[in-house]
Amino acid sequence: MTTEITAIQAPIKRYFEDVEVGEELPKLVKAPVTHLQLVRYAGASGDFNPLHTDPKVGEMVGTGGIIAHGMLIMGFVGQLLSDYVGPTALRKFGVRFKGMTHLDDVITCTGVVTDKYEANGEARIVGKVQATDQNGDVKVTGTFEAALPHKSA
Amino acid sequence: MFDTSKVGQTFPPFTVEVYRNKIDELTTAIGDPNPIYHSREAAQAAGYPDVPLSPTSPTLFSFWGNRNGGRNLASVGINLARVLHGEEEYEYLAPIYPGDVLTGVSKIVEGRHRAGRDGSSMDIVTTETSYTNQHNQLVLKARTTIVVRE
Repeated sequence: MTTEITAIQAPIKRYFEDVEVGEELPKLVKAPVTHLQLVRYAGASGDFNPLHTDPKVGEMVGTGGIIAHGMLIMGFVGQLLSDYVGPTALRKFGVRFKGMTHLDDVITCTGVVTDKYEANGEARIVGKVQATDQNGDVKVTGTFEAALPHKSA
Repeated sequence: MFDTSKVGQTFPPFTVEVYRNKIDELTTAIGDPNPIYHSREAAQAAGYPDVPLSPTSPTLFSFWGNRNGGRNLASVGINLARVLHGEEEYEYLAPIYPGDVLTGVSKIVEGRHRAGRDGSSMDIVTTETSYTNQHNQLVLKARTTIVVRE
């Protein structure tokens, strides 16, 4: 089955021709994760699992205190992609959650372009992304695909 | 324990409206200062028709829209107290903007047991939710994989 892609009215952030396979995305270093941020994220996202907000629950289940929502860390990586191609150029974005993030962890998001090709009349770039903490421990790995305009278009 | 005979099961549809202020709240919590997510005027000045969805905004449709999501999982034998988020994937198929009304249909597309080294077992279950807009156009697919430790 093929899916028809509707043309999207959006500003152009980057052209297909400007992206090289092997190019690294500008690194994003986030501010340390805070308890207030997790409370705010819970309220915004609607994920009220107390594992992320109540220190007593965090102690009880043996996670070493409260842990960040995995989706918050995916959101950090989303910011990396949004800064790079713009939100409406994204066609696919997927991650695997590899490790727990604790308070005060400093998350760095990185990415690299791994392929370029044409599909469904669109020029696409494909890449890998990752989020790691201050010790280099991997929290999230993932992939993305984005549609970029040709310069001549 | 997850009932593997439930793979392929579809749950009743739910509807969710796209709210500009929820995109603002979510990106504020993430700490993304890009003004296109925080004001319609800024988004329009940048060339968007309205505030666009940030990459992980579809999580809003799941938690705020799919109010029976937890009950659905429990109905196929999943212990909600033991759920960990394993994977999340989005396919963005067409534009989504504030004011759109989406209908989501969730289906269990994969589910299996896996034995741990210590004799414990875990369930790995993937749900795919397809979202259509008010024009009956397929706009988004979201796949969520959960890991349930028995």
